Amino acid sequence: MYSFSKKLKISAIVFMILGALGIAYGFLTIPNSIEEVKQLTEQQNQGHNEANAANVIEQNPNHAVENGKEVSEAAKTEHLTHALHSFQNRPYAAIFIAMFFFFMIALGTLAFYAIQYASQAGWSIVLFRVMEGITAYLLPGSLFILAFLIISVANGHYFYIWMNPEYYNPQSELYDEILVGKSWWLNVPFWMVRTFIFLLGWNIYRYFAVKNSLAQDAGVDLTHYKKNFKASVFFLLFFAVTESMMAWDWIMSLTPHWLSTLFGWYVFSTLFVSSITVIAMVTIYLKSKGFLPQVNNSHFHDLAKFMFGFSIFWTYLWFSQFMLIWYANMPEETAYFTPRLLGPYQLLFMGMLLSNFVFPLLLLMNSDFKRIPWFIISTGIIILLGHYVDIFVMISPATVGNHWQIGIPEISSILFFLGLFIYVVFNALTKSPLNAKGNPFIKESEHFHY
Amino acid sequence: MSNKTLQAIFDDDDVLLSAVKDLRAAEYHIEEIFTPFPVHGLEKAVGLPNTRIAIMAFIYGVIGFSFAVWMMNYMMIADWPQNIGGKPSFSFAENMPAFVPIMFELTVFFAAHLMVITFYMRSKLWPFKKAENPDPRTTDDHFMIEIAVADDVNALEDLLKKAGAKEIKIKA
Amino acid sequence: MSHYEASIREPLINGNKSYHDITVDVAAPVEGKANKKWWIAFTIALLAFLYGIACIAYTIGIGIGVWGLNNRVNWAWDITNFVWWVGIGHAGTLISAVLLLFRQKWRMGINRSAEAMTIFAVFQAGLFPIIHMGRVWNAFYVLPLPNALGSLWVNFNSPLLWDVFAISTYLSVSLVFWYTGLLPDFAMLRDRAVRPFQKKIYGLLSFGWSGRLKDWQRFEEVSLVLAGLATPLVLSVHTIVSMDFATSVIPGWHSTIFPPYFVAGAIFSGFAMVQTLLLIMRKVSNLEAYITRIHIENMNKVILLTGGIVSVAYITEFFMGWYSGSSYEDYTYLSVGAATGPYWWAFWALITCNFIIPQSLWFKKLRTNYVWSFFISIVINIGMWFERFDIIVIDLSRGHLPSSWTMFSPTFVDVGIFIGTIGFFFVLFLLYARTFPVIAQAELKSILKSSGDNYKKLRENNHEQ
Repeated sequence: MYSFSKKLKISAIVFMILGALGIAYGFLTIPNSIEEVKQLTEQQNQGHNEANAANVIEQNPNHAVENGKEVSEAAKTEHLTHALHSFQNRPYAAIFIAMFFFFMIALGTLAFYAIQYASQAGWSIVLFRVMEGITAYLLPGSLFILAFLIISVANGHYFYIWMNPEYYNPQSELYDEILVGKSWWLNVPFWMVRTFIFLLGWNIYRYFAVKNSLAQDAGVDLTHYKKNFKASVFFLLFFAVTESMMAWDWIMSLTPHWLSTLFGWYVFSTLFVSSITVIAMVTIYLKSKGFLPQVNNSHFHDLAKFMFGFSIFWTYLWFSQFMLIWYANMPEETAYFTPRLLGPYQLLFMGMLLSNFVFPLLLLMNSDFKRIPWFIISTGIIILLGHYVDIFVMISPATVGNHWQIGIPEISSILFFLGLFIYVVFNALTKSPLNAKGNPFIKESEHFHY
Repeated sequence: MSNKTLQAIFDDDDVLLSAVKDLRAAEYHIEEIFTPFPVHGLEKAVGLPNTRIAIMAFIYGVIGFSFAVWMMNYMMIADWPQNIGGKPSFSFAENMPAFVPIMFELTVFFAAHLMVITFYMRSKLWPFKKAENPDPRTTDDHFMIEIAVADDVNALEDLLKKAGAKEIKIKA
Repeated sequence: MSHYEASIREPLINGNKSYHDITVDVAAPVEGKANKKWWIAFTIALLAFLYGIACIAYTIGIGIGVWGLNNRVNWAWDITNFVWWVGIGHAGTLISAVLLLFRQKWRMGINRSAEAMTIFAVFQAGLFPIIHMGRVWNAFYVLPLPNALGSLWVNFNSPLLWDVFAISTYLSVSLVFWYTGLLPDFAMLRDRAVRPFQKKIYGLLSFGWSGRLKDWQRFEEVSLVLAGLATPLVLSVHTIVSMDFATSVIPGWHSTIFPPYFVAGAIFSGFAMVQTLLLIMRKVSNLEAYITRIHIENMNKVILLTGGIVSVAYITEFFMGWYSGSSYEDYTYLSVGAATGPYWWAFWALITCNFIIPQSLWFKKLRTNYVWSFFISIVINIGMWFERFDIIVIDLSRGHLPSSWTMFSPTFVDVGIFIGTIGFFFVLFLLYARTFPVIAQAELKSILKSSGDNYKKLRENNHEQ
């Protein structure tokens, strides 16, 4: 049995407190009027003038690219209104990015776990309890997401701009035919119902899978194992459809005019590689504390191999999406990449290629390195940072626009959810023995060595 | 010291593996082992150093990648830049996304082929090469160990018999 | 201990085989004589091949005007066949490379034939773009060679050129991968051969393989690295094929999901073709002990998985077309316009063959049934042909300019060349089945003790030590 070390518990709690304070600070310092925004933008402009070259705000789908020098007064005010909206969005975006990041780790781990069952893998059984522990975060993570989405709808803030009723009002100057055309899918009730169904389905599987897995430990026959096998197959079927829809609903709809058929799978690749990285890191941590005696460096090797493989897979999907849009060069599609590739997000957008592709590729190519714990941990940290940036770059241009920063609200949000994640996961790990001894493949996993 | 070789034939891979361990423990020098299939753990038991062919593959891959970059830069950008389909080829960086597929293909092409050629050369495999396994059964279900021996072979023969060798031959 | 395998895994080698039995069984088709059925099949395939050659000759002589192409639908059967064959040519490398990386032992009974099939399928695929050039004698212009046109280089921005590199790399690397794996098996045939001619031929083919320890060590490392290289390679090939379509701005073609979706579709169709061939071969060549029920079931599971991925992609395509709000998207190959338009039969053929019928594989009874598996594999082969036909012909027959909307009808030459490639494919495969070791016997021997039925039983009786 694992016992939650005091040191780790205290640091988790400290992270949460610090994070909560920082988040509160973020909300308290939101500018309230256009005047304040003026001051803020002037301050920022002194910092980096060049960023204004590609002054695209995705916030308003009607917004034309402002490259010309002559900008009328009305346009200026409009611009400032958007800027105000962006500044007001920033603490929301910061929370949502961190919230989603840790949530997707739990979700991806659940998918990885289900795949192990469905494919009757033999090597990974000794890691099952670790995965079950990580997926314990799924429920609190889901509740936070649900709460966030409800609040963002309820407070009339339009974190998702398509929720603004003005776009659907023929009298309004904001009236948007394209959004009206999409309203059969993008309307608040249906959208909420979908979200609820996704979260419910995933959590139900997680609940029964863990229950069966624990029951199998004491089981005489394989009933529970067989139940889990079936449940996992059906979960994967459900997941395959809902994961894509989740990505469209929660992230892609932030830029409601833009679409990419690959988007759902692209989010999946990010989610999956981050999850495997976290599984590897938690495993190595537990092993270093003297738990998990059956885990040997061949298990590390395979986890690292998955990190390596799925980093390349992520790059493949990233490239496929980017290159096809770049090549076809259709304005309605390239609008998505303009702020990212040429605009103020360039550094992050290019930088994440380094941390998500180049580093894992070179660091984890060698078979011997895949067995060295500190090597996996340090590559893992790079990968996780890179995929945080990936989520950041997916969400921020559409919410905080050009005025992005990684400052107190962002770091505090990460700290808060990191603390919560550590607390929930390691607390869950204390609840059951770390060896899934009832699984029919457990011996294969213990003997796993090559 | 004579140049005699002792050939011991086994008919089971697990027996072979334990025999190799016994031989190593008794500090005999194993010259060669012929097997019909790769026996798991045998090279470790013999103490064979790791092959470095994977490192060569990496180097070949880097060469292929560099060649692709050079080739496309030379042909598209340097030698004859053109504006095809509204995609002017005047700078490598701006055309980069379109060059990635071929960079990848040539990396793989060079790495795979040069590695296999290296393997064939190092293991001396080519058409018209004469096979060198002393007993044809070693491609079917038998395993053979070759050990260089001095004049006195009795102790070694005993050891091998005990370890489960089926046949023992001595070749001058 | 090192041979341990969980007892609930079914054995992969049945019939109480020893190492020597494997040798004998694998060598049997090569050493024996062809039976009547083989000759009948070979004759039919050869005739189809010859008819295809005649059609190709006719095309080259007269020009590709003899095909049914028109101004609007300027790719049709030819490119459909090309993509279909390339797709089929994905399964072999997937089985030998991806399943090797995932350490799936069941790949060893089937990888050799799957790879052979891959190579033969890519041959067929390669024919189509070459014939499509019209002036085939100028085909070398696709290579970046200095030439007499003032050193006019090829256009590296073009996805069609990427195809040239991707397919030639894929074909040559698959060939080398396959051949390297064949060396120990050729050596086995060489050492068993009694007739001097056979001994000479297999001696030549085996490159003097002797089975030294160091050779095996390199062999395994080379296989592993080749697998690592071939895995992204196999993905890249169909990715690049999909980019032939997706880099354009044609409604239905320009879709970012195309690369992974095409790859999944390719594996789907490739596995179906492997299934078709294996089900025949295990009977004809008496390999039932090595290509067992569990092999067929596992193949069916992969088919179900990739079919599922493809289905999710269909849903995505259908949904996004609708979601985009663009009226042109209402006529793409996955849209209401296609389902109810003049090509409704092609649309429904795709949905029925690729989506509806394969769902039956969810039932264990059906996916372990040989006859049903054979039927399904044929259905999927047809369905995947229709998928490419739909993508190419339906999307091209519509488009941004409604006044030019038109239909396509193939001529006998289109059909003839397609039949010819099927004939050529089977000619090659039938010859292969008679002369090559159709199972990677050396590799198979290395899993006999962990997965042979006799050894598994023995272990169980010893209380699973």
